[in-house]
Amino acid sequence: MDDYKFLFKVVLVGNAGVGKTCLVRRFTQGLFPPGQGATIGVDFMIKTVDVDNEKVKLQIWDTAGQERFRSITQSYYRSAHALILVYDISCQPTFDCLPDWLREIEEYASSKVLRVLVGNKIDREDREIPTHVGEEFAERHNMYFLETSAKEAENVEKLFMQIAEDLMKVSRFLCDN
Amino acid sequence: MEYELPTEFDIIIIGTGVIESIISAAASRIGKRVLHIDSNNYYGGLWASFNLDAIHKLSANTEVLDPPTDLINPDETTFALGNDFFSLKNFKTDWHIPKAETQPENENVEEKNETESEEKPEKPITQDSLIKDGRKFNIDLAPKLQFARGEFVELLISSNIARYSEYRSVSRVLTWLNGQLETVPCSRSDVFANNKVTVIEKRMLMKLFMALDSGDQEYLNYDNKTFRAFLTDKKLTPSLIHYVLYAISMSTDETLCLQGIQNTKRFLDSLGRFGKTPFLFSMYGSGEITQAFCRLSAVFGGIYALSQPLSSLIFDNENNFKGLICGKQRISAEFLVMGAEKAPPEFIKSPPRSFIARAVFITDRSIMSSEKEHLTLLLYPPEGGKNSCVIIELGTLTGTCPKDLYLVHLISQQVASPEDDFKHCVENLFSKFEDDKKPKILWSCFFSIPDSNALDLKTGVPGNVVLCPGPDLDLDYDDAVKKAKAIFSDLYPDTEFLPRAPDPEDIIIEGDTEDRNDEDEVVLKPEENTDKVAESETEAKSDNDQEVPKSENEHEE
Repeated sequence: MDDYKFLFKVVLVGNAGVGKTCLVRRFTQGLFPPGQGATIGVDFMIKTVDVDNEKVKLQIWDTAGQERFRSITQSYYRSAHALILVYDISCQPTFDCLPDWLREIEEYASSKVLRVLVGNKIDREDREIPTHVGEEFAERHNMYFLETSAKEAENVEKLFMQIAEDLMKVSRFLCDN
Repeated sequence: MEYELPTEFDIIIIGTGVIESIISAAASRIGKRVLHIDSNNYYGGLWASFNLDAIHKLSANTEVLDPPTDLINPDETTFALGNDFFSLKNFKTDWHIPKAETQPENENVEEKNETESEEKPEKPITQDSLIKDGRKFNIDLAPKLQFARGEFVELLISSNIARYSEYRSVSRVLTWLNGQLETVPCSRSDVFANNKVTVIEKRMLMKLFMALDSGDQEYLNYDNKTFRAFLTDKKLTPSLIHYVLYAISMSTDETLCLQGIQNTKRFLDSLGRFGKTPFLFSMYGSGEITQAFCRLSAVFGGIYALSQPLSSLIFDNENNFKGLICGKQRISAEFLVMGAEKAPPEFIKSPPRSFIARAVFITDRSIMSSEKEHLTLLLYPPEGGKNSCVIIELGTLTGTCPKDLYLVHLISQQVASPEDDFKHCVENLFSKFEDDKKPKILWSCFFSIPDSNALDLKTGVPGNVVLCPGPDLDLDYDDAVKKAKAIFSDLYPDTEFLPRAPDPEDIIIEGDTEDRNDEDEVVLKPEENTDKVAESETEAKSDNDQEVPKSENEHEE
């Protein structure tokens, strides 16, 4: 029926308002929905991409607003292959919360999960977190790092493609062994 | 990140137990503005799962907060939230192994990545080593199994909630017979493969199964008689009576015939859908179930807030619920639904009279060792004045305990105390010594859950307030679904209960790539295009060919 060879679950976390939903919509639909509230009834979005002539299906899960009062269910993290932790480069508090998010990730996500740190909203001029600060944080915690703009479609494609490629590599490696 | 909660809702739900969560999902699903709120910092209430660290910190204290009075009008009254009737009782944990290794040689492994801590076979298990792996435990307060064709599984599928959790099938059903563990023959192939059952017994058992399946109504003559009497009249041998009475129908000597027949049919009907037995277990523990419903509620706009400083409920002078006080906020809604354990004591007319006795053990091997890891249900019959016990043994493939260890749950209707009620099971199944063949208990936890299911939770409760009972003694969730559905229909008559949530795309969530042996992993999807379980099930299916159309097997790609 469906012609894909790999299916990966990717979940997004991070404070409310950092642009998680915008990243997903930009990637899956090519849209930037400004000022939208919570999306009712949308659980996860799907996009199939080509990596080395193979079809890779990414199932991208959003928080459903449960991050607002720090009430994300543990089951959200289960069986995720990749985890994108997002902060807003123009909002210091969203960066300051990263250690809290990491604690939650370590507790509930698989130890093998691919972790990516994303500083979003680089289109904004009131930057508060310099790139190197994000980079250093990512390095310290063994994560990939990327800065993006969902609004200007900058690095969004790259972010998800990188994840798809890496997950496929891991998956192939496991298959071969 | 201090956000204020919105202050106007259609319905507020306090507590994240199973029934509350199902109602929350159902209300959000039809577009109601739902606030689902809990004073706990975890989901699930009395149905939750905890890791090893968190379960040690479980305390039964119910804190009463004084509400700010300026939020309450002069003609309103308030009731403080929370009562002590339904909190866990007799809670007790114990270690049965040394704290640390005696030789200090493993000090240098301290830095090792905790995720990769492969246990060397000879390395003794210590408190410290278990605590280090503590996050890999998911210890249920109220462990449940689901009948493969029960109401709950049908609801998961019809509402599309199945995608939020993963399941494994129970791979064997055991019972305690003549002083030892025996495998209960469930399906036709089991019956024939069982070398403890004689050829004549095999025929008897198949005849009984087929008679029940074909709608034979001979049992109608047993109106006021017991199921045991029926089975005895069928001339079954004592061991067959044991299998059918205590295991397959989960009955007692007193169970009436009709009930026993219904239970047996229910068991047989759920065979052959997934796995070798009629039962499923939700991976990472039963606590995931409430979260699945909460996720659906959130996806449809429900607002979620744990760890909230809930202080009191506000009522007008006609005793209608108006709202509640949470921190410094007053939040209003038309309806209030809450777990009985959250209710003001004034709403509870009678304290619980019966309790669920519970024990949880971490052990070093299975109660019945085998090549592959089993997910075991042991139905321990009533014995010497003790009630029957349900025992569920979980291995690492269920995501509830680390490698090479087992988590064993014991459940029974309490007679004296959990420790006393399970004493005989513990003596028969486990050992205190290292080199015995029986598993050794490394850690134990005992507690009692007050059973609020038989109580009147309506009298004296204001009209727009509903109290939900906590965990029951049932093996499964079917009764909880019925209760949630009834409450929902009372609140919102003539609306659909959890209609199918739209599919982002027709997808199958594969398990992660970890080294599981897959044959018990289960994907729940609607019947017409699935029942696609691993190949070993083809065998199980043909056991049941009266029930399952043959074509179902042809969907395997």
